[in-house]
Amino acid sequence: MGSRFPKGWITGVSDSVHPPRSLAELFLGFLSIGARAFGGVLPWAHRTLVEERRWVTPADFAEMIALCQFLPGPNVANLSIVLGRRWFGLAGAIVGFLGLMALPFIWVLGLAILYADWATHPAVRAVVGGVGIAAAGLFIGTGMKLARPIARKPVAVLIIAGCFIAAGLLRVPLVIVLPAAAALALVASHTGAL
Amino acid sequence: MLALFLYFLLLSLLSVGGVNTVMPEMQRIVVETEAWMSGAEFTQLFALSQAAPGPNVLITSLVGWKVAGLAGAIIALAAFCGPAGALAYWVGGVWERFRDAPWRMRIQRALVPVTVGLVFAGGYVLATPEGIDWRNALIATASATVLYTTRLNPLWILSGGAIAGYFVYV
Repeated sequence: MGSRFPKGWITGVSDSVHPPRSLAELFLGFLSIGARAFGGVLPWAHRTLVEERRWVTPADFAEMIALCQFLPGPNVANLSIVLGRRWFGLAGAIVGFLGLMALPFIWVLGLAILYADWATHPAVRAVVGGVGIAAAGLFIGTGMKLARPIARKPVAVLIIAGCFIAAGLLRVPLVIVLPAAAALALVASHTGAL
Repeated sequence: MLALFLYFLLLSLLSVGGVNTVMPEMQRIVVETEAWMSGAEFTQLFALSQAAPGPNVLITSLVGWKVAGLAGAIIALAAFCGPAGALAYWVGGVWERFRDAPWRMRIQRALVPVTVGLVFAGGYVLATPEGIDWRNALIATASATVLYTTRLNPLWILSGGAIAGYFVYV
């Protein structure tokens, strides 16, 4: 079980932070993140954990999210596991994760069941199709935002283009693309080109 | 159902940076390798997972539900979150030790362009479920441009996509 007051907490701010006292409180906190997470979970996670419930400091939150983005797996699900573990060990990790996923899981299946009844309706198909393509556009826009800080580095642009062509246009399996691209990028990063 | 479970276990460990990184691979497996559904159906499931509140990882449970009902939905989500979650649990414990290590910074820097390239690839395969179509190109380009240039809540962009879809696809 992790320490209740781990290193990295800003001295003097820690007394304004109130970690959850029970598994039930932990569950309800993550439940309220999942319940409201329209248009992305991350902003709601920040609002709930840092601003409303004050379970973690802003700096601690940023650090934990960076860790979770660096690891494989869904970022906020990883966050629920890492923070749940910090406060209540394995039970906390499981309860935090289940709290986060419970309502979104029910809602997305409910929506899919509703959609299955209406999928033959041309207007419904058209609307859902439009949302899907717009969401694909959001992917591309997010990629552009992520690329902005590294767009002036020729090696970075080459790696971006290579991954796009291999995985998007040529449909090369990811078990080949990811290790190859990561190895090249690590060499570039080691020599200072990234 | 076993194939579903094994594929999503593998995807879990490849999903550095989140589920977005493995979207092109998930589409390739589901649509091309296993032919569980058409490209258009996959894009529609993706639309539902984006429109519902919650983590976008729920696309996995929609794929599972389509392949094997409720059990499939639970198995796909558990398979996708399991290995990565176990790793997060373990790393969360030792994180303090190597937080400022230079090698960790180097790995993080190296992974950014790889993730970006794969996110672009994911957007491309989702926007072209049946090959290149000018209506799809228009909606996807508009959506990407608005997201990049404004601070509008993405929910409004998705609503715009719904309205545009109604007018261009019916």
